[in-house]
Amino acid sequence: MKISFKMNGKDVSLDLDPSMRFIDVVRDVLHLNGTKEGCGEGSCGACVVLMDGKSVNSCLLPVANAIGHEFVTIEGLKETKAFDVIQKAFAEMGGSQCGFCTPGMIIAAYSLLKENAHPTEEEIRAKMSGNLCRCTGYQAIVEAVLRASEKGEGLW
Amino acid sequence: MVEKFIPKTKAEALDILSKHDCYILAGGTDLMVAKKNIAGYLPKFDKDVLYVANIDELKGIYKDDKGIHVLSGTTMDEVEKSPLVPSLLKKAISEVASTNIRHFATLVGNIANASPAGDTIIVDVILDAELKLESKDGIRYVKAEDFVQGVRKIDRKPNELITEIIFPEVNYDKEMWLKVGSRKADSISKVMVAGIYKISGKSLENFALTVGSVSIKPVRSHDIEEELKGMSLDELKKHKVAIVEEYAKLIKPIDDQRSTAEYRLTVAKNIIGKFLDEIIEGGK
Repeated sequence: MKISFKMNGKDVSLDLDPSMRFIDVVRDVLHLNGTKEGCGEGSCGACVVLMDGKSVNSCLLPVANAIGHEFVTIEGLKETKAFDVIQKAFAEMGGSQCGFCTPGMIIAAYSLLKENAHPTEEEIRAKMSGNLCRCTGYQAIVEAVLRASEKGEGLW
Repeated sequence: MVEKFIPKTKAEALDILSKHDCYILAGGTDLMVAKKNIAGYLPKFDKDVLYVANIDELKGIYKDDKGIHVLSGTTMDEVEKSPLVPSLLKKAISEVASTNIRHFATLVGNIANASPAGDTIIVDVILDAELKLESKDGIRYVKAEDFVQGVRKIDRKPNELITEIIFPEVNYDKEMWLKVGSRKADSISKVMVAGIYKISGKSLENFALTVGSVSIKPVRSHDIEEELKGMSLDELKKHKVAIVEEYAKLIKPIDDQRSTAEYRLTVAKNIIGKFLDEIIEGGK
């Protein structure tokens, strides 16, 4: 079936089975391997991508539901100033160790800041609870998002 | 061979449902887990699938004299942000899964999936919400309370599509929502309780309570509610322990990977007791 959507600013039209998971389209068809698969059941958030500006778990999204929507993966976000700010904040605060959760964390952080440019620590913890990290213990990630919020005024 | 359909209109969807027994996939956040395959392989569907997310007619929220209508393709995120929606429902939604999931999971999908741990289901039930089901044969309305019949069992015929959930106006001014999970956010409920009430003078004008994740379907007792309506707060204080015990009789929890029956029963009783205390205190 012909399936069309926008990926990182470009129109994409592919012949796919509509039940295919969006993560498999992203990684295996479009070869955008920055998006990771962790749990495969919507718990860990390693696979989140932006769908119309909001973070969604690409492991639970059938490509049938992607039709007509606009997506941004970490590769697309990388081209923005917002990414620069978030990435620097993660580096400075030690928000990334093994790095597996980081693309998902950055997408989720961007989605959060876009909706709420000045989140409190508690709001960050609640809103990013769907992104798991086995290294940092979260404190460094929360501090990185707070720092990005401070440094990225007007960017979201 | 399993067929997959992606209609763009409600009429097309109803036509497909009149001919095929389908899984109806809206957000897909439960179904995609249930039908999960090895990474890189297609989900394992054992019957046809109808994808309804591309039907714009099924998206939106509006108000009329019947109440607040939430169309079935509306995401939890959209419902949570709507100024029309009751705050009790928003509180429940804010604790469903994670932000990422709520960005594409639908509110109606939660009750359609009919998991005993479905957080918003007990709110649908306590607020007397009604499901609107459409088919080529016509329209049918079912109360949320009757719609859920058991674990993943709902009152939907194969040719029917849920198109709306409708929240009528309910007479209350105080509410309570409490979810107990193993984490503060992004957890599956062990127990959740919703309560609404209204005090007039020194007695209870209206009262309702629902408990979830402790039985095959949401627990609500109209008998207990009727007994309590009109009761003075002094009487309520006197009967508090007995009322909690009445509810305890209706709660039939199980042991599972998330919790034990004993824990669930104890916690549910404590929350109900606390809620009754709050009412008794509130009247002072």
